[in-house]
Amino acid sequence: MKKLLIIIFCFNACATVMAQSNFTLFYSVGFGTGDLGDFIDKTSWRGMSMDYRYAFQPNIAAGFSVAWTTFYEEKGRDTYSTENQSLTGKQFRYSNQVPILATLTYFSQPDGPVNPFATIGIGTMYTRRNTDMNVYTMEQEAWHFLLQPEVGVQAMIGEGVAFTVSGKYYHGFEAGSELSDPQSYFALNVGFSFIGL
Amino acid sequence: MKKQFLIIFTTALLAGCYPDGPDYVEDIDVVYTVYDQAYDFKTQKTFAMPDKIAVSVEVTSEDTLIEYMNPIYATPILQAIQRNMENYGWSRVNVDQNPDIVLTPAGLSTTTYFYSYWYDWWYGGYWGWYGWYYPPYYTVSSYTTGTLLMVVADPNQANQSPINRSPALWIAAANGLLTYSYDLSRVSEGIDQAFTQSPYLNLK
Repeated sequence: MKKLLIIIFCFNACATVMAQSNFTLFYSVGFGTGDLGDFIDKTSWRGMSMDYRYAFQPNIAAGFSVAWTTFYEEKGRDTYSTENQSLTGKQFRYSNQVPILATLTYFSQPDGPVNPFATIGIGTMYTRRNTDMNVYTMEQEAWHFLLQPEVGVQAMIGEGVAFTVSGKYYHGFEAGSELSDPQSYFALNVGFSFIGL
Repeated sequence: MKKQFLIIFTTALLAGCYPDGPDYVEDIDVVYTVYDQAYDFKTQKTFAMPDKIAVSVEVTSEDTLIEYMNPIYATPILQAIQRNMENYGWSRVNVDQNPDIVLTPAGLSTTTYFYSYWYDWWYGGYWGWYGWYYPPYYTVSSYTTGTLLMVVADPNQANQSPINRSPALWIAAANGLLTYSYDLSRVSEGIDQAFTQSPYLNLK
């Protein structure tokens, strides 16, 4: 927690001294798709994202993004069967996603009050999936190669502060043997951007 | 101002509590069953079952001591098993009446201990001075799980085995956290569930 605050503090300090820097803090809502959506079909209301962008051209910014989303679902009492075995109980399912990305953003109206943008991100995503039953947990981990397109809009609401809305799609490709299926989700983000002049 | 806002916003985001998990002991109760796919249960009719449930076996040099569950708990459990077997079309006979299968219930409890310690490493002496240290703190916790086992075997298969024992044809285990309140409804629900998820035992 303390470390995180220090990191945020540094980002913020950067934002005020460096030209053309853009730091966004998002609250994000996650919707699992594909294999992740099959495992947990409940919407995640627990997520955040920190995006830093530095505009080296008026329209184009390079940066990085770190996010964290937790999906959770309490399954009803159910029977899970294989060939000649059956197990009945309640399952508590968790899936944590931590994407870490390098990003390239195109701003269409960098000087306007409303500034739509599009981003492509490339990086890695850490997934930890837990299936809890009885007093045990089955834990599966993976580091995926990750691609993330994003579209959004920044609306200036004050000196150096903008209200930002964006949609991101995270696609973590097939990885390893523990949790080999691709993991993907859609995130709807709302937050504030702090823009250094 | 901007920094304060950032800090408040971030804290609010992180405070968005991590999901809970189980709330009640019943939430972690599980029932497991496994059966021999090669065995034809449908051609059988009768079963035998003891009147007591073993909870512990102690083998000494002279004797084998079997500890039984208190009849206050054992009787309703045995009744629940018999009710389920009869619903599936089986009839109970004495063990000396040449039963087709024998059903043996058993109760087990297992306690898992775990401990951790925390050491006040920053207390103690300065350099070059052998001071005293606070002892580390140890904490010990444990949980106990209880399991009701039901094992079905065909006594006529014993002669096919080199050690003259019948292999298990059906094993059911109902497991949950023991609360020492002997909640019989949890146990009988476990028994009912074991039969529900084993339709191959149904002779009807």
